[in-house]
Amino acid sequence: MVAGELVSQSIVNGILLGGIYAVAALGLSLVFGIMDIVNLAHGHMLMVGAYVAILVFAATGITPLVGMFLAMGLLFVFGIVLQKVLLKHVVGEGIEQPIIVLFGLALILQNIGQLVLGGDARTADLGIPGDGIDLGFAFLSLPRTVTFVVAVVLIGATWAFLQYTKTGQAIRATAQNRKAARYMGIDTDRIYVITLAVGTALAGAAGALLSMLFPINPFVGWSYLLKAFAVVVLGGVGSILGTLVGGVILGVSENLGALYLGGGYRNVVSLLIFLGVLLLKPEGLFGSGGGGE
Amino acid sequence: MVNDDSPVSRRSYLKGTAGAAAVASLAGCAFSGGGGGGDDTLTIAGTVPETGSFSSLGQDLRRGYELGQARMSEQLDRDVELILQDDESDAQTLRQNLQQITSNNDVDMIWGSFSSLLVTAGSAFAENQNLPFLGIAFAYEEPHRNDNYEWTYAPFPKSRDVARSTLGTLELIPESERPTNVGIWEPNSGWGREQAEYWENRLGEEGYDIVLRETFEIGSQDFSTLISQSQNAEVEVLLSNPTPPGGITAVNQMQSNNWSPQMLKFVRGADPSAWWSALGEAGAYALMCPGWVPGLTGNGNQRLREAYTSEYETESEFMPVNVGGSYNLTQVALQAVQAAGSTEAEAIRDALRSETFQTVIGEFGFEDNGLPAEGDLTAPTGQWWDGAQRLAYPNTDSDRSLDFRYPIPPWGER
Repeated sequence: MVAGELVSQSIVNGILLGGIYAVAALGLSLVFGIMDIVNLAHGHMLMVGAYVAILVFAATGITPLVGMFLAMGLLFVFGIVLQKVLLKHVVGEGIEQPIIVLFGLALILQNIGQLVLGGDARTADLGIPGDGIDLGFAFLSLPRTVTFVVAVVLIGATWAFLQYTKTGQAIRATAQNRKAARYMGIDTDRIYVITLAVGTALAGAAGALLSMLFPINPFVGWSYLLKAFAVVVLGGVGSILGTLVGGVILGVSENLGALYLGGGYRNVVSLLIFLGVLLLKPEGLFGSGGGGE
Repeated sequence: MVNDDSPVSRRSYLKGTAGAAAVASLAGCAFSGGGGGGDDTLTIAGTVPETGSFSSLGQDLRRGYELGQARMSEQLDRDVELILQDDESDAQTLRQNLQQITSNNDVDMIWGSFSSLLVTAGSAFAENQNLPFLGIAFAYEEPHRNDNYEWTYAPFPKSRDVARSTLGTLELIPESERPTNVGIWEPNSGWGREQAEYWENRLGEEGYDIVLRETFEIGSQDFSTLISQSQNAEVEVLLSNPTPPGGITAVNQMQSNNWSPQMLKFVRGADPSAWWSALGEAGAYALMCPGWVPGLTGNGNQRLREAYTSEYETESEFMPVNVGGSYNLTQVALQAVQAAGSTEAEAIRDALRSETFQTVIGEFGFEDNGLPAEGDLTAPTGQWWDGAQRLAYPNTDSDRSLDFRYPIPPWGER
């Protein structure tokens, strides 16, 4: 019999982890929802963001919470270049070509990471003590709590950007109907550039946050890509609230699965939930089930 | 002044001397009489993980092998050619590399890579080719027993030796202070299950309470549930055999969850120097069982250290553990070839089966299935302290060993 304290601890840990999963998934969801491409390199962009934060921390001692902004900036620029140089030739040309380009990019990023930094796992220090708050029913780890709060702020900022800025409204209009948006005078090519840049910047932010909790090596990209996919499907493509809820569900289900079935089944449980949602509610918990053209 | 080549005990010194004399006399018979030839080259093939997930250990393995090759060239009256390639930490690449090396060269022997996954792949190839195979970092016993190995030999502590060494380390703690609650984190792999069984049975027989035995997935990034379970079960001694990234992740999360056991042994996980570069002081006190640890004495340890510092121009007092582990393998190869008196595969295999070997990890022979003879092999346990791995068990008089540090203080007091 599993003690109640263990259950509540697992739920708390899952919620705190779910926030980062949501940030990791948000960029993927945005790019998928607006550009109709599956960014297979998203996990590897996250890995790059993590390494930026780790290297800045190693070189200067600056906390990854600050390094995160540098990671976001670099990946924002990378997203612009990627769209203008590579993806503009293949977006809208069917599903296969962008997938092949992005799969190749993932392999290139992984190999560059390995070549430059080796295969060793690296981590950064949040710069706050490893203790936390004892709530009685669960222990609230301070590093996890801080990263969760930052993750929620990032998600809120993305929502506000899409909701209240002209560019955000143009992005949403493009997501709803790109032809109509074009007829209304929206420069959809520019919107694609901005969307990809924001998506990759969010991957960079998620990587920086993850680097404070988990060691990073050049191979982590695939595993986080899988988790991001699961969150997007759970929450529904394009839904920011859905992404947050999906992230939390994934985090909690992973932790409870590990508790009841053993750590070896952590990912199995989350993937079963993912498959269940695909079967029963393929548009996701908060997805519209339609959209596009 | 400490002499690194001083014996661990008078008895082992006498046994070692007698054994060395026997091997030397055999070698003398073989070579002085010209029976083994003297002008043909001994060609050894091998791979090391210089890239990929085990890359942090590749250089150490290579260095140990190269120092051993140099020693073999000095000791054997024939050229010793060592062909090492990067297996990229991948079993498929390893197999392709070995295939390519053996196709283009007259290979006499194969040396293994790192980890049960890669060493088993190399071993399977060698068994198929009927070539003697030596592998370290390969604690998994089951393949030796189930696959009827004929050519594979592991001069390395196996799961049962690791469990024995854990018990020995615990016995260094005064009885009144000795912990009783043992937790085992079991990777969901064949070796994970095997090692957990040995720990549970061996320590259970000695009266320790196994209060937790839980599995986790290799490659897992989140140990928070296991940490909560361990805390809840009041685990005092935590034992596991994770991969190095897994071990580092686990300790990181123990710190952020403000929980630590009183004794932590991460076999293989705490082997590489990446442990300290990733964790720093948070990695202190961790125990490992890597096959060789600075602080071991006798059987060429002093010579190994001198060769290492001279060849690689380092002032470092503490050699990486896998240099010693792979050098130990080369000592077995040297003595087997000397005893065989030729480079014939069957003669070397017979020598591996019948001889006793003196290496930097002690004196031991092999069982027919290639396992080190039960009880022969000392499984040295190291402990991370002040940025270096030092010998914690067994006790020696080297200043590279330390008095086993116990208990691990809480995070707030470190």
